[in-house]
Amino acid sequence: MSLPPLPLTVIGGYLGAGKTTLINRMLRAPGGRRIMVMVNDFGAINIDAELIEAAEGDMMSLTNGCVCCTMGADLFMALGDALDRRPRPDHLVIEASGIADPSRIAMAARAEPELAYEGIVTVVDGGEFPRLAADAQIGPQIEGQVRAADLVLVTKGGAPDLDLRLSVLSGAPVARLEEGTDATTLLLGQARDAKLPVEGRGHAAHVSWQGTGPVMDRATLEARLAARPPGLYRLKGWVRAPEGGVHEVQVVGAGVTLRHLREARETQLVGIGLRGTFDPAEADRWWRGG
Amino acid sequence: MSKITLFSAKKIITMDRNRPEATHVAVRDGRILAVGGADCAAPWGEAVVDESLADSVLMPGFVEGHAHMMAGGIWKYAYAGYHDRIDPEGRPAPGKTTIEEVVEGLKEHAAGLPADAPVIAWGFDPIFLPTERLNRHHLDEIAADRPVAVLFSNFHLMCVNSKALELAQYSRETNVEGVMKGADGTPNGELQEMAAMFPVMRRLGIDFRSISADREAVRAYGRVAQRAGVTTITDLFATFNPGDVDTLLEVTGAPDFPVRLVPAMGGTGAAPAEIAAQAAALRGRSTDKLRLGAVKLMTDGSIQGWTARVKWPGYVGGQPNGIWNTPPELIAELVAECQKAGVQTHIHVNGDEASEVAIDAIEAAGRSHPWAGARHVLQHCQMMGADQFRRCADLGICCNIFANHIWYFGDQHVALTIGEDRARRMDALRTALDEGVRATIHSDAPVTSLAPLFTAWAAVNRQTMSGRVLGEAQRVSVEEALHAVTLGAAYTLKMDGEVGSIETGKRADFAVLGADPFEAGAEGLKDVPVRGTVLGGEVHLL
Repeated sequence: MSLPPLPLTVIGGYLGAGKTTLINRMLRAPGGRRIMVMVNDFGAINIDAELIEAAEGDMMSLTNGCVCCTMGADLFMALGDALDRRPRPDHLVIEASGIADPSRIAMAARAEPELAYEGIVTVVDGGEFPRLAADAQIGPQIEGQVRAADLVLVTKGGAPDLDLRLSVLSGAPVARLEEGTDATTLLLGQARDAKLPVEGRGHAAHVSWQGTGPVMDRATLEARLAARPPGLYRLKGWVRAPEGGVHEVQVVGAGVTLRHLREARETQLVGIGLRGTFDPAEADRWWRGG
Repeated sequence: MSKITLFSAKKIITMDRNRPEATHVAVRDGRILAVGGADCAAPWGEAVVDESLADSVLMPGFVEGHAHMMAGGIWKYAYAGYHDRIDPEGRPAPGKTTIEEVVEGLKEHAAGLPADAPVIAWGFDPIFLPTERLNRHHLDEIAADRPVAVLFSNFHLMCVNSKALELAQYSRETNVEGVMKGADGTPNGELQEMAAMFPVMRRLGIDFRSISADREAVRAYGRVAQRAGVTTITDLFATFNPGDVDTLLEVTGAPDFPVRLVPAMGGTGAAPAEIAAQAAALRGRSTDKLRLGAVKLMTDGSIQGWTARVKWPGYVGGQPNGIWNTPPELIAELVAECQKAGVQTHIHVNGDEASEVAIDAIEAAGRSHPWAGARHVLQHCQMMGADQFRRCADLGICCNIFANHIWYFGDQHVALTIGEDRARRMDALRTALDEGVRATIHSDAPVTSLAPLFTAWAAVNRQTMSGRVLGEAQRVSVEEALHAVTLGAAYTLKMDGEVGSIETGKRADFAVLGADPFEAGAEGLKDVPVRGTVLGGEVHLL
């Protein structure tokens, strides 16, 4: 298998929360990536086909149903199609249906060797959330979507205490998605070709950070990562191992994956944090062990 | 002048009150010309007498109002279920009552496959094998050098052998929800839910879409129906990719295709108004053997999976309430748009909260877009109480009740899901009929076997697998049950003017039986042999 794994980001959230708007905004500034969007929710706003085209991307609608629709088999069959696509897209974004548990989809990226887990982003309509969460019929599923999130993006206002509530529920960073915010890097990670022009217009929702330096054994590295600074949403790179080779580091939200590789590389980490929550200077101190 | 064929039979049960029994039926141009005695066709001219059914009992061809195309295509895999079944070719597929029998059966199946082909089976259900849980070591006995996968009957779980785990790169290090591990910390072969199953399915080429849609699957579905005496069958949650309607037209249009197919398009994948418009457009492509234009909507999950949405007091084991596959507000919007476009819906409702939401949605749609003849159908209706049936009667909503569940899962419902009192009133055909609801009963094949006479038996006896009677008060008579699987089901498909009874003017669709179901009575109903069908006057004996 010579192709690199296909990164998968799942966008969850109830009907009308702003999932499609978020995806359209991301497609406007794809950072040179070919993005495939899999649409599973159909509301007042549609994915802009022209944006998909401009980004040399692709879109699949899940129009296939079968007896197993309750298990979401149609979605997974489409996932297989995406993996078989040549050229393979650079990133796959799945817009989950309004009631879906995004973790059931994202788990596929942990299971399938040809997929790479890039996180669950749950979009919340700040104004509607309290009412939906209190609804006896759908409340538990709505809260479940937030609980599954690696990152919560709040659209359309909401009471001041909402962020705290979402943060407690999810254990994940909570960010406000203002008009014009560019969240692409948060959602998809750093573009592969960093030389490409800036990601989008408007102010970025993220702050980057880079770390170099030490050789670390696995236990020390695990402990260090467990104490990573708040708001550090993504971390990717390599850390030299004393026994030779490197630890490949992959962090998205709460998920940390370490893998030992026999490659000779220098220690190099790239982090992406939430603007306003994440402080690169604090990250420097953390990484230096201070 | 077209040819007249006069069939003679040992007995013809017409389900027409004006002439409940007959000995002869005359057919011209695929329709019933006359019913009665040997001379019934005399006024119409010369008839050719067909004696091939002379020692059989004829009934109106059975109508299955809730089944899935997969019931045909799934037979390309080996059967590993607990209950005896018959495959589409008529070969017996004996039930496997122990893990050893599953292993032995699959060894035999593997021997007939090309050496590098994966060994795939379906229908396994651990609920009936309370001994050791199936694991990879059992399946390694079948083959060590090629993958083996056993799909469970609910399709939510599977068990695979070591080779399949290796292909999916599952190991001790794997940390994926649903990849189950044994005491030694290695994956034990059981994979739960799609995310965990996906890497194996992908590498073994298990594709639910092809077994639900390709030509061979459609033909196999036709054969499955023929074996059960079914002449009109639904496919509730059909796929329509470009070209699929052409394929269906071609396959169902063949003279030897023995059943009328009624697919209801799965109501996902587009905005509600668009779904309604698609279905309305499909209706125009209907033929006498392919009826398009209805939509299937999902609401909740299943009771035995604890995913059905149930009203207070919930599940007896204290499990959390189930899950919505479609949010209630979207269900309301889908029903409203369908009703506005004149599109009939079939709505999956297992739990009583789901049926309530569906009834509310139909009631609301009736206020915004009145349509007295909509005949929306609630499907499964398993926990509905008398109050909900009364609302259905008020609103003209049909109910297709999952009668087979009483036998297959009744004991589990008492012990594990909703408890004795609510299990007694499950699948309440008696109440539905008494409250004036247009009702039918179904198999949900391949979930349970397609066999309307068995389904009728289940509704008449309400016996569970352990032999007890569950809800005596909900039993119905043989006649009521037979009406349910003929005219009752035809009504829910808006085809009661064409099929469902043997009377002049209707299509000449018959079930050819080896005995009289009324003589067989309540106990023997399920054992009445099916010899084949007649569709539009064409004889399709087994």
